[in-house]
Amino acid sequence: MLNFQAYHSTLVDYTQSVGNLALLPIRTTYRGPAPLSPKIELDIIDEALNYFKANVFFRFYEIKSDSDRVLIYLTLYISECLKKLQKCSNKSQGQQEMYMLAISKFDIPGEQYLQQLRHETGNRVVEKVFATEDGKPSKWWLCFAKRKFMDKSLSGPGQ
Amino acid sequence: MGDHLPACVIDVGTGYTKLGFAGNKEPQFIIPSAIAIKETAKVGDQSTRRMTKAVEDLDFFIGDEAFDATGYSVKYPVRHGLVEDWDLMERYIEQCIFKYLRAEPEDHHFLLTEPPLNTPENREYLAEIMFESFNVPGLYIAVQAVLALAASWKSRTSAERTFTGIVVDSGDGVTHIVPVAEGYVIGSCIKHIPIAGRNITSFIQSLLREREVGIPPEQSLETAKAIKERYSYICPDIAKEFAKYDSDPGKWMKNYTGINSITKNPFAVDVGYERFLGPEIFFHPEFSNADFTVPLNEMVDDVIQSCPIDVRRGLYGNIVLSGGSTMFRDFGRRLQRDIKRTVDARLQLSTQLSEGRITPKPIDVQVITHNMQRYAVWFGGSMLASTPEFYQVCHTKQAYMEYGPSICRHNPVFGTMT
Repeated sequence: MLNFQAYHSTLVDYTQSVGNLALLPIRTTYRGPAPLSPKIELDIIDEALNYFKANVFFRFYEIKSDSDRVLIYLTLYISECLKKLQKCSNKSQGQQEMYMLAISKFDIPGEQYLQQLRHETGNRVVEKVFATEDGKPSKWWLCFAKRKFMDKSLSGPGQ
Repeated sequence: MGDHLPACVIDVGTGYTKLGFAGNKEPQFIIPSAIAIKETAKVGDQSTRRMTKAVEDLDFFIGDEAFDATGYSVKYPVRHGLVEDWDLMERYIEQCIFKYLRAEPEDHHFLLTEPPLNTPENREYLAEIMFESFNVPGLYIAVQAVLALAASWKSRTSAERTFTGIVVDSGDGVTHIVPVAEGYVIGSCIKHIPIAGRNITSFIQSLLREREVGIPPEQSLETAKAIKERYSYICPDIAKEFAKYDSDPGKWMKNYTGINSITKNPFAVDVGYERFLGPEIFFHPEFSNADFTVPLNEMVDDVIQSCPIDVRRGLYGNIVLSGGSTMFRDFGRRLQRDIKRTVDARLQLSTQLSEGRITPKPIDVQVITHNMQRYAVWFGGSMLASTPEFYQVCHTKQAYMEYGPSICRHNPVFGTMT
């Protein structure tokens, strides 16, 4: 019963880990501990976004590498983004919300790295969610806001 | 043999009854297995409550009419596949024959079905009703899973027609996995899965509720059901399927238009991911159910592994689908692929553990899809009851009068030679 067929990160070529999270290069302009590599074709955030809609349905997830931990964090964070974006009617409002969410305080190890990830993830989520003709958020993303990956959520109960 | 009128084939299921004449491709009637009767005040035991005067014992309705009848109480004589109330069952069969089939029971042989693990006593009760109340000339009681195997023969060559195989039967309520070896059900290895049509519908319903506005709440179930039946299919890989939908929505997203039952105005629904996510819960039950998480392919593999070792190859090679919820496009293909993976991994492991000294013969895994799947059990019955052999294995009225109902405890397997 090991194979639940959830999707795992393929980016397992890392040299450093922060609090068991793999430190992976990302395609971003936000500064932080992770190496900035503008040319990288598929980074961990791309993976998290590509697999998000499929992975969010799983209740069980086997952690196979430190990259998977980053993937889990990002998947849960994308859910948080979607929850915020539900209340936004246009893109600039959405970008503001994403910024606010990224700098809000999470007390966990590797905070700086995670903040960098949050900034970039938030940006990309906004781009995807508002890639619509009428400028309204896409229901094909927002419909996943209520799903709980692994039955967990980054925000506390009742929020 | 030519002087027989066609046999009547009646398959009474928990939800629906399929009835018709042998030799046909589809049942003439598919009616709910419900009966509406008049019950007096709820005091005393069942028999006193139902004490009848003169014509009252004819005052009942079955099938769809049962739900329309006002002032009657609706009962289901069959629960979990087994007959619970023989008194109602007798009346139910009475109307099946006279009102629906409009047949003279004296003129037709009858093939009735029973679930696996039915008790011999139940067969006797059934025989008593059929021979004594209806005076039928001949009766055969067939196991549903065995009929489902027979139904799959249509799509196979005569050499492949065996009574060894595993039946995956999925209707609305439960999915059964029933192994059969040479016509006999291996009762101890049967497994049931709480994932079937109804669960898919409610999962689709929840997906729609999270996304679509404009579906009237009281029509949300029927909308989900219509979308399930019309648009759903099984995909090989859900992440890739999501990507396909997002890159080319025009091609994959569909549109469903319903009519509001009150205002009569049309409402539009976008149909998206639920097309492949709905039936996916067979393979990922955790998507919709927190308590049950074993995928269908693993369950089938478990069942085969628990069967006697000498029939396992035969079972892997003949996995037969039956019931409406197995009709999704590519269902068979996916099941076959996933079982094959487990089987191959197991063989590879044994090669590895023996350090190359043992190379097992590869196991052939085949899932049989055919176009009679929806009413497979009934169709299998119709097929077998139209062979001349059927009349030889039928229990006859004469034998019943001579020996009594116990003769119906055993119904010999037949049909492999034809």
